[in-house]
Order: sequence, then structure tokens, then C-alpha cells
Amino acid sequence: MSKKIFCALVLVLALVSGCFAADWPAKTINIYVTHAAGGDTDYMARQLGAQLEKILGVSVVLSNVTGSNGATCMQQYRNGAKDGYTFIATNTAALNGNEATGMVDFGYNAFEPVAVYGIQSGENIVVPASSPYKTLKDLIDASKEKPGQIRLGISMGGGVYIMACVLQNIGKAQFNIIEAGDAANRLTALLGNAIDATSIPYSSAADYIEKGQLRSLCTVLSKSPTLLPGQPAASEVIPELKLDTEYALLAPKGTPAEIVKAMNDAVMKACATAEWKKIVNDFSWQDPFYFDVEGSIANLKAQRDLFMSLVPILEIQ
Amino acid sequence: MILEGILAVCQPLTILWIAIGVVVGIIFGAIPGLTATMAIVMFLPVTYSMSASQGIAMLMALYIGGISGGLISAILLNIPGTPSSVATCFDGKPMANKGQAGRALGTGVVFSFVGTLIGIGILMVLAPVLCAFALKFQAYEYCALALFSLSMVVALTGTDMPKGLISAVLGALLATVGLAPIDSRPRFTFDMYQLNNGFALVVLLIGLFAISEVMSFAESVRKKEDFSIEQNVKMKGAGFSLAEFIMQIPNAIVSALIGVGIGILPGIGGGVSCMISYTVSKNTSKHRELYGTGIMDGIVASETANNATIGGAVIPLLSLGIPGDPATAMLLGGLMIHNVAPGPLIYEKNGAVVYAIFTAMLIAAVMMLLFMLWGMRFFVSVLKVPKNYLLPIVMVLCGIGAIGNANQIFDTYVMVGFGLMAFLMIKAKIPTVPMILGFILGPTFEQNLRRVSQLASSDPFWNHPIFCVLIVATVLVVIFSVRANLKDAAREDSNE
Repeated sequence: MSKKIFCALVLVLALVSGCFAADWPAKTINIYVTHAAGGDTDYMARQLGAQLEKILGVSVVLSNVTGSNGATCMQQYRNGAKDGYTFIATNTAALNGNEATGMVDFGYNAFEPVAVYGIQSGENIVVPASSPYKTLKDLIDASKEKPGQIRLGISMGGGVYIMACVLQNIGKAQFNIIEAGDAANRLTALLGNAIDATSIPYSSAADYIEKGQLRSLCTVLSKSPTLLPGQPAASEVIPELKLDTEYALLAPKGTPAEIVKAMNDAVMKACATAEWKKIVNDFSWQDPFYFDVEGSIANLKAQRDLFMSLVPILEIQ
Repeated sequence: MILEGILAVCQPLTILWIAIGVVVGIIFGAIPGLTATMAIVMFLPVTYSMSASQGIAMLMALYIGGISGGLISAILLNIPGTPSSVATCFDGKPMANKGQAGRALGTGVVFSFVGTLIGIGILMVLAPVLCAFALKFQAYEYCALALFSLSMVVALTGTDMPKGLISAVLGALLATVGLAPIDSRPRFTFDMYQLNNGFALVVLLIGLFAISEVMSFAESVRKKEDFSIEQNVKMKGAGFSLAEFIMQIPNAIVSALIGVGIGILPGIGGGVSCMISYTVSKNTSKHRELYGTGIMDGIVASETANNATIGGAVIPLLSLGIPGDPATAMLLGGLMIHNVAPGPLIYEKNGAVVYAIFTAMLIAAVMMLLFMLWGMRFFVSVLKVPKNYLLPIVMVLCGIGAIGNANQIFDTYVMVGFGLMAFLMIKAKIPTVPMILGFILGPTFEQNLRRVSQLASSDPFWNHPIFCVLIVATVLVVIFSVRANLKDAAREDSNE
């Protein structure tokens, strides 16, 4: 008897969710962006939203719910409406990084991942052009020769913090780790000689490198952006040092799989256009970078596994 | 290149966007709770699809309009529209109470324009030199600068120093809520994720000035005469004579320089510049006892400084790619999205855009002056609206502003909480303004003090002359302010 009821229930559920998917989307889709307007996460989400509007034929409204490196928004919407009209746009360094550093106690598993739809131009480890160090290995070796003398500027808790932990604890470097604030503040500190090396987004460093004021030692991406080929990667010196910031679209846990699939189809369609290629080429020096649902989950898992494997060393003596 | 930049802005469509930007900015600035930063946040996505010079021109217009609009509600309602116009209330409202609302508005508008122009002028001529100076400010220097600015509290608090200090310390304590700077440990969050971010300045500002104002009115609502409306509102020209304008020029120049100076230093911003400039103007004046009674000098000091801060803040933004406050951080995003990377190469790579920005700022400043002077006759009519109709609307707008800060309902509860706190503070005669200074500067001081403690072993303080000068200056300011305050107190006593 109970088996029959169960079967009936499953059937009804399947039908209902089938109807969901068939009618979807019927109304405005809300995407909550975890970072503020003006940043790369917001820009990519809004560009994607504009493309999705064309493909899906309904309005896509983007709102920024900001704070705590995206954690505020993710807390607020991870159990949001499961009707397929609520999504969260974030980046994977925030999603996996906040879990690894213990800021939140949940990861991508607390959501239904929809798609990984882009990759950042990444951060580079930079030194002033007058500095004698030409490669990351030079810099690490120098720090071992003069323990505590070379000042590495970081910000606590984010991707740069993970980088510093890997450098000190796996790379056995002996930097004097200095808290120097966000990317803009680290740039100020480096230009003002308050620190000797730091990691900042390539987009902020590019002009200084070109003008001969700063020198890039390596990218911390796992490989050089497609339009900026030939940069050495930090992982060539320390294999664990891979900080790929990818853009991800998530849905609240329990959103029907059919809708997740349908949304992913729309994202894949958007990312395959020539218009999208131009947008990402111009903005992040990368080629389009996107996956189906399974691929996206595998991608998130790989980064989470790497970050979680680093948890035991996420401490600076 | 210069011509190319000017031509890029002098298109009908771009001018239209600037006009829209200025008007929207003024409205956002004037409504308590909505700030220049919010105006830029809201319109930033709109500019994604515009050309670089159009988009950036509009954002600059929003910025200039937003900072200028704050004076309207500061003068008419005693509620600063943005953090930048807190000090405008000090003399603006008393002047309006004397039936000279038009004169107060006119002074504010004209000197906002003067401040903006001086700021832009310095930006155009001296940007590279000043950037080198800004880079000298690192952890040590910021630490001392925050201390120096906090010492202004002593000067601001008038004759009752202990209460002023209580307020400033409470402000600094409120700022410690949330994830700590540096090590991201949660403090006073009671496991509520909404508190991880700490409190937003704008929410504190609404609570302290707007909600408490509404509550004080509600308290006396049963008295009949309170429904009276202001009839004595006259308006002609800008409200003051040419002779008065010339008299204020030295005051305006000093205030503008303070504004630009604070604007250049990332992380301090307009909210502090208006208060410091007001204090400096008051303490160097021959008639300091008249400040706070509704004199032009106070409005001039505050409004010139906060608008000059715009030009100052744009200097490191363009030449270094370093934003000085939340509004310029948004502008930085707006530039990057249009593939204009601010930094040492901006003149070489995007020279036309730089000159387009300068042109747009000048046009926006002129439009601000015209719209505000023209609109003044309508603004003052706010005083004719009975307060029992006006204040509920203000309350709703404040709620919208609080939610708009981060799209969180939670912030409205915080706003009401701060309102209650401010109401009790007013009852206890504790001034609320030092709290704002403490709230802004406390975190700057803490963060840099902690950085200094990491640096001290390898880099002692005597290597930092600016730090030493600022510390000595702080001590001097405290000594002189205490002496002046004691004298004022003695005078008040003898008058009684």
C-alpha cells in the first residue's frame, strides 16, 4: 500500500516538476549578485543577464546583495524560493574560499549549481621594477636567505591569504607577512614602498607593468589567460598554488533539476555567441569558458577539493 | 587630444545624460538616506551600454549632484542628506530658523559650486604632483591622521567635552561590530550573519539625524501650535550680496584646500572633510562664538570643503587607479568596464577620456549651480508643508534608503534602533555629531594601528616624518581646543 502511495507521489511530483519545466520561464527571473556593482563579478553577471533576457524572452533583474566577500548574499538566498526564478551569481574563489577559510560552514553543495560561465584574468604576483627578483623562485629563495626581511602585502581571509599560506607553509618561504588591505590598498603600499611584493589583479597592474614601474613574476591562475599567453604560472614553482576565479550561477537548494538544466542550456547558448566572445575577450583577456551542469559541478568540486586540502595549512606563523 | 575629449562630451545626448545625472544626483543627495554613492550604484549598470565618455560623464554628474544635494535637507530639515553635509546643519538650520532659508540655501549652492571648481582646477593642474604626496601616506601616516582628525572632536564638542568624547567613543565602538579588519574574526555579531558586515554609515546617519528628528517631533505632537507652518520664507537672487561673497573668499579657499587634501587621501572622504573644515574655520575666526547661530561662514566652510573633496578624490582615482571613498570606488568600476584603466598610463592611453571627464565635471558643476538656484524657490516650499505630513514621508524615504544600502530589510531595524539611541542621547544632551566622526575614523585608526604593530619591529616610527608632525599637531589641537572650550565655558558662566 505504502509503496503504491509512494509511486503515486513520485509520479505526481514528476508531473508537477515536468509542468514546471515546460512552462518555465513564465515570469521575471531574479538574479542576486554577491558582489557590488562596478566589480568583475557584477559586470559578468549583468552581461549574462542581458544575454539570458534575449534567449529566454522574460525580464532578468539583477540585484546586488553585498558584504563579507559574498557570504551575506549566499546565506540569504541559499534557501530562497525554489521555483526557478531565483538565482545567485557569484565567483568560485568566494564560494570555495569562504568555506575553506571558515567564514561560512557551507559550500557549493548547499546550492544547485547551474553553470560555471566565465573565468577572470586572475591575479599576478608583482614586485617594483627596481627589485632584483625576476621569478617567483628568486623571490622565495631570497626570503629564505633573509628570513622576515621581505615584506609580502596581503589581505586576510581572501584568495591572497590562501596564496600567502601556501607560499609560507608549502613553499617554505619566510616573508614578513603584512596586512595591506584590498587590491587598491596593496597597490598603494607597493608603489609607496611599504611592502616589497604582493598579488594584485592583472587588470590593475597592467599599466604599471607596461610603464616599467612594476614587474610581474607570475600569474596565480593555473594557466595564463588565452589573450595574455606566455606568462609563467605560480603552480610551476608550487603545484598547489592555483587560484582560479571563475564566475558561477547557482540556484537555491531544491530547485527542480529540469529548470536547472533549462537555465544551463540558456547560459551555454549565450556563451557560444560571437558577441559573448567579444565581451569576455575585452573584459578579461579570456576566451569563453563554460560547462554543462555536470561539468560545472565537477569544476566546482575540483577547486573545493584543492582549497579544502589546504585547510590544515591555512595559518601564518 | 584635449579637443577630442571636449568634443566627446559636447554632444547633445551626452549633455542630456549629464543633466539627468545632475538632477538625479541632487534628488538622491537631498533625500535623507539616499546618497551620492547609491545614485552611482543604481545608475552604473545603466552606463554599461553607453559609450565610455557618455557613461563616465553621467557618473561624474551623479557624483557632483549627489554631494551638492545634501545641503538642501541639512538646511531645511536639519537632517543631512548625505554624510558630506553633516556640518552644514550646524549653521544652515539656525539660519533657516531665522527666516533666512533662502539665504542659507543660496550660500550653500554658490559655495558648493566654488568648491567644486577649485577641486577640479587642482585636479587638472596638480594631479601628478599630489599623487606622489598621497603615496607617502601608509599605515603610520593614516594612523596619525585618524588620531589628528579625531582630536577635532574635542574642538567640535563645544563646552561639554566629556559628553562629546562619550559620543565619539560610542561611535568608534559601533564601528567594531562585524568582521574585524585584518583577521576577519567576528566581533559583537551574536551569530547573526547580517551583522558580519557591521553597520553601514548611511544607516547610522539616518538613525542619528532623521529618525531622532521624527521622534522629537512626535514627542510634542499633542501641543497645538506645532502644526503651524513656516510663512516667513522669502527668496531673491542667491540670497546674499556681492560684498558678502567677497568677504567669504579667504574662508572658502582654506576650506577648499582642506577638502581637496582630504579627498586625495584614500579612505577618509567628504563626511570628515566638512567637519574638519568647519572646525578649522571656527577656530581661526575672529567671531568664533557666532558659529552655530546661523552665520554664512559655517555653511561656506562645510559646503566648499565637501564639494572640493570631489576633485581631490578623483586625483588618485585617475592617476593611480586608487579610489578614495565608496563613491569613487564605484566610479573606478565604471571606468574599468569601459576599458579605461585608471593608472599611470591613463593620459597616454585614454587621454581623450580624461579630458572628457574634466569637461563633464565642469559642465555638471555649472548645471548643478543653475538647477539648484532655479530650484531653490521650490525647495524652500518644503518648509510650508506641515511637519505632520512631511515627516512620515521622510521616514518612508529613510526606510527605502536603509534597504537600498545592501538590499537588506535588516538595515531598517538597525535604523530604528539607532534612532532610539539618538533620541536618548539628545535627551541626555550628548551631541550626535562626534559619533559620526568616531564611526568613520575609528576603523581607519584601528586597522592602521594593527598594521603599524606588524611593521614596528623592522620600520620604527622615527622614519616617518609625516607621522611625527601629525602626532605633534594632534597634541597641539587638543591643548588649544581644551583651553578655548574652557574660556567659552567661563564666558557662558559669567553671562548667566
